[in-house]
Amino acid sequence: MANPSRKSEAREALPDPLREALGAFLTALADDEVLLGHRDSEWVGHAPILEADIAMASIAQDEIGHAVLWYTLLQELGWPDPDRMAYFRDPPEFRNATLVELPRGDWAFTVVRQFLFDYAEKVRLEALMASAYPPLAEAATKVRREETYHLMHSRAWVLRLGDATEESHRRMQAALDLAWPHALGLFEPLPQQALLVEAGVKPPEAELQSRWEAEVRPVLEAATLRVPTGAPVYGGRVGRHTAHLSDLLADFQKVARSGLGETW
Amino acid sequence: MADTQWPVYEVFLQEKRGDPHVHVGAVHAPDPEMALLLAKEQFARRGRCVSLWVVPAEAIHSTRAEEAEALFASALEKDYREPKGFRVAERVRRWMESHGQSLPEV
Amino acid sequence: MPVYQIRGQAIPVPEQAPPPQEGPDYEARLAEFEARIARGEKIEPTDWMPEEYRRQLIRMISQHAHSEIVGMLPEGGWIPHAPSLRRKLILIAKVQDEGGHGQLLYRAAETLGPSREEMIEALLAGRAKYSVVFNYPAVTWADVAAIGLLIDGAAVVNQLMLAQGSYGPYARAMRRICYEESFHIKQGYDAFVALATGTPAQRQMIQEAVNRWWYPALMLFGPPDRDSVHTPTLLRWRIKTKTNDELRQEFVDQYAPMVLRLGLTIPDPNLRYDPETGHWRFSEPDWEEFWRVIRGDGPCNVERLAARRRAHEEGRWVREALAAKAARATEGNGNGRHPMAGL
Repeated sequence: MANPSRKSEAREALPDPLREALGAFLTALADDEVLLGHRDSEWVGHAPILEADIAMASIAQDEIGHAVLWYTLLQELGWPDPDRMAYFRDPPEFRNATLVELPRGDWAFTVVRQFLFDYAEKVRLEALMASAYPPLAEAATKVRREETYHLMHSRAWVLRLGDATEESHRRMQAALDLAWPHALGLFEPLPQQALLVEAGVKPPEAELQSRWEAEVRPVLEAATLRVPTGAPVYGGRVGRHTAHLSDLLADFQKVARSGLGETW
Repeated sequence: MADTQWPVYEVFLQEKRGDPHVHVGAVHAPDPEMALLLAKEQFARRGRCVSLWVVPAEAIHSTRAEEAEALFASALEKDYREPKGFRVAERVRRWMESHGQSLPEV
Repeated sequence: MPVYQIRGQAIPVPEQAPPPQEGPDYEARLAEFEARIARGEKIEPTDWMPEEYRRQLIRMISQHAHSEIVGMLPEGGWIPHAPSLRRKLILIAKVQDEGGHGQLLYRAAETLGPSREEMIEALLAGRAKYSVVFNYPAVTWADVAAIGLLIDGAAVVNQLMLAQGSYGPYARAMRRICYEESFHIKQGYDAFVALATGTPAQRQMIQEAVNRWWYPALMLFGPPDRDSVHTPTLLRWRIKTKTNDELRQEFVDQYAPMVLRLGLTIPDPNLRYDPETGHWRFSEPDWEEFWRVIRGDGPCNVERLAARRRAHEEGRWVREALAAKAARATEGNGNGRHPMAGL
């Protein structure tokens, strides 16, 4: 992406409707990551044990780092810079799935949400590595490498807490019951999906979802957790969010929008 | 109820292939796999690392400090086991001088 | 007298000052121990050491560990509000390092006897001390910058000294910690300069933060030498290699110019450079306030401990669950490992 001529080539080769669709897709990717990273970072200093605190802080940094990468691709397509995107939009402009805006919750919820998200990211990245839009394929390859640790980490936690004690099982099941319908929302198709699929940018969300379920269901089952049957919570990808997003953004954007300075 | 901070695992890190694993610290972890996962972020989040070992701390046995002096210092000359105990080059040079021997042309 | 297990050896660790150790055998060992320190050698966990040396180290290292852990809170509170993605990443990494430092330090203290459980228990019960500076509030984003420069700067001055100390595990932990702290100061200075060279409102923010953090930074080095009961012992055994006042002077010499250079002021009418000595003259902090905050009556003592207790209690089920699971796995089928296949 450092090569400006290649950047502009990739950008100029895109017809406007496809560029718009790609922009909406990258916004969704980036918004997911930045908000999850924010929620994860709420554990820093408060996790159940020091070692877990340290690991969670790394995961939070990784997610925000990925967001910066997606926002940067977006900037190359003509969108505002990453900080502008993260700090100066209002809830309806965010395209994240509602999963990532839900409050931090207990450690069980954090583990379950992270697990569901990490595997969704895995199948998504693996598909994007073959994207017809080269900057996206390149970025996906990079990010996928960093995801390996996340997968090991969240899977290890799920497998342990699922059936460790009565309390841990109860908390994990409650977390899954809450998170699952919102996690299905990660696969809510964007309105512009057909265009992207046709151009070979990405596969349809339904395809990713079935790959994802094939990965997460056996692990959840091994952890003695029951997958709920509720309907997916959609809306995030078109800017319909829970009230939690407003709370989150009020925290997130407080200083940047204080009007006291331009750069920090 | 007494708190648990989990057992201690000592952590050994290899910076690059071919290097020895070096002791870098320890983590508290419930089991070996978690110990590896947690050690990765505590000891390899910066800098180089290609491999980690974790070992239950209780599996490590140590010589006693009081015995160290007696145990590790050898009283008698054991130069013959060290490379510095040999002075061959000097003898070769003297022999060459006294026999008019010079180095073969390269 | 509680008995702690280290690597199969039972080592008694007194909670109070130990009964006097004496006799010809003790004298001989002490002489050997002190000669080792005088030669600049490190003391290792299995070495013989005077009980007072052990006791002082446990006290210092555990307080240091507690300070790192409690020290995560004032800045950690600003992670959600960090004003740019870069600042957010930096701040998470920095507070993470503080947790990492606490982790290393608790382990260094564990080599002397007490377990991490016991040390944390003492902290949460209000029986242990930690650095007074973390009982002051971080009021605005600028406090993060001021802490990053002044408090981390003070910590580095202190820790570079501790890295020269005589106890091997502590000195080793310090070397790694100092390396990471150099990132902390850089980021602190960077955030500091961003505000000091920013809008008038930002300059005012950072000035107010300097006003809040200058004296706490001076307090970080502990009470003045004249009131520091531990100093002579600590110096004799090279647990410390400089006195609190020497370190404080070093800090002011290094950091006062960094603040003043940016056209900011330091809330000390007596602060001035003395060309004769080559040092800055400065006013001491309010020591009465220092002792009051140490005794628990600072602006945030209650809040800080409550936050630690809450995290500890809310995490208890997690620690217990994994311990239970591991115990079952060990009883059952061998090593309790889950295969990491399929990644």
